[in-house]
Amino acid sequence: MARPVFGTTARTSDDSIARFDPDRGLVEAARRDPARFDALYRRYLAQVYSFALYELRDHHAAEDATERTFLRAFAALPRFEERGGADATPRSTFRVWLFQIARNVIANERRTRRRQPAASLDVALAAGLVIADPLDLETESTVHEDAAAALRSVNRLPDDRRRAVILRFVDEMSTSEIAAVLGRSEGAVRVLIPRPLREVASDLESRRDGPRSR
Amino acid sequence: MTFPNGDRSQAEALVTDGYVDALLAAGDRRATDAPADAALDPAIRSAASRLRRDLVRAHPSFRFEERLARRLAEQARRMSLGLATAAGAEGVPIATRYGDDREDPELAAIRAGLVDPSALEDVGIVARPVLLGGAFASAAISLAGVALVAWRLSRPGARPMLRAVRAARRTRMAGWPRTSTGIRFGRLS
Repeated sequence: MARPVFGTTARTSDDSIARFDPDRGLVEAARRDPARFDALYRRYLAQVYSFALYELRDHHAAEDATERTFLRAFAALPRFEERGGADATPRSTFRVWLFQIARNVIANERRTRRRQPAASLDVALAAGLVIADPLDLETESTVHEDAAAALRSVNRLPDDRRRAVILRFVDEMSTSEIAAVLGRSEGAVRVLIPRPLREVASDLESRRDGPRSR
Repeated sequence: MTFPNGDRSQAEALVTDGYVDALLAAGDRRATDAPADAALDPAIRSAASRLRRDLVRAHPSFRFEERLARRLAEQARRMSLGLATAAGAEGVPIATRYGDDREDPELAAIRAGLVDPSALEDVGIVARPVLLGGAFASAAISLAGVALVAWRLSRPGARPMLRAVRAARRTRMAGWPRTSTGIRFGRLS
């Protein structure tokens, strides 16, 4: 089954995320004419919303976080600086910068919520908020079931590993981009991935062997 | 080949990273798998493939998307007006105050350049940016100062000097001569 491709963007190679920011033209256009920010907004809406949804597990909270992220990004756009990482400064593209804002907004949201809401992402999935590939609509229920099982496994991971996994697999970020978003070294992020994958594999395997929990 | 523990985890991380990169690139071509290094743990490969397939990207509701688009467009319109009025000025004027700033003081602080919304916070522990905290504290102190001054002005009799004056008045000062400035003490209270 092909993976849903909604909102995919061109990835850059791992070691050159900011040598050329694919959004440079759009950013410059938005600086000249703020109305052109709409193109950046449409391009990254699903990515930012997905990050928020997987982190907050509540689609209302995810929408709030998404809204605040884009409003802040829009307000701060005049001061956004693309950085190449040639010296000690961390690399940054528009996407990395946007996700750094989202990371802070989501962290604030998590702090203000005293506990996880009763409604989980499973509810959002069941409500059809996940856009499946139009070519695979007939397998939508399977998508939801598998996604929910994978999600449960990922949700058991510690925060930093879960966050890295979400950024890697859902937002399709490179290791260096994730490092810049999370404020960690590239090596640390690279090591962060295999262990949760092994944990997820073990968890999914045990679920497959045992009775299904749904 | 055998590695020391640290090297082994580094090597595994590199192999895994390469596989996930290939897997993500394969997804762009609508392929479901990608070639993997022989050293890659099959369990890791399986989990990566599964997460690649099942951790789907979500999209908010169309209503939300359009509502936020309209709000951003309105912000853009106002910013463009600000740009027009500041033609000739260097840089982009960001300190103009819009209605939304009253709703969200952090947005106003961002526009004014007081807060960097992308600055790294400790995302796991309660922590606010020092600058943001300082801005709020400064605003709070300012508001408290304004309130105090207003309260003091509305209650001038609370000042020690005026209390002393009143006490003096009570003891028969009504007929005292004017001061050198020509103002009777009693007029102040």
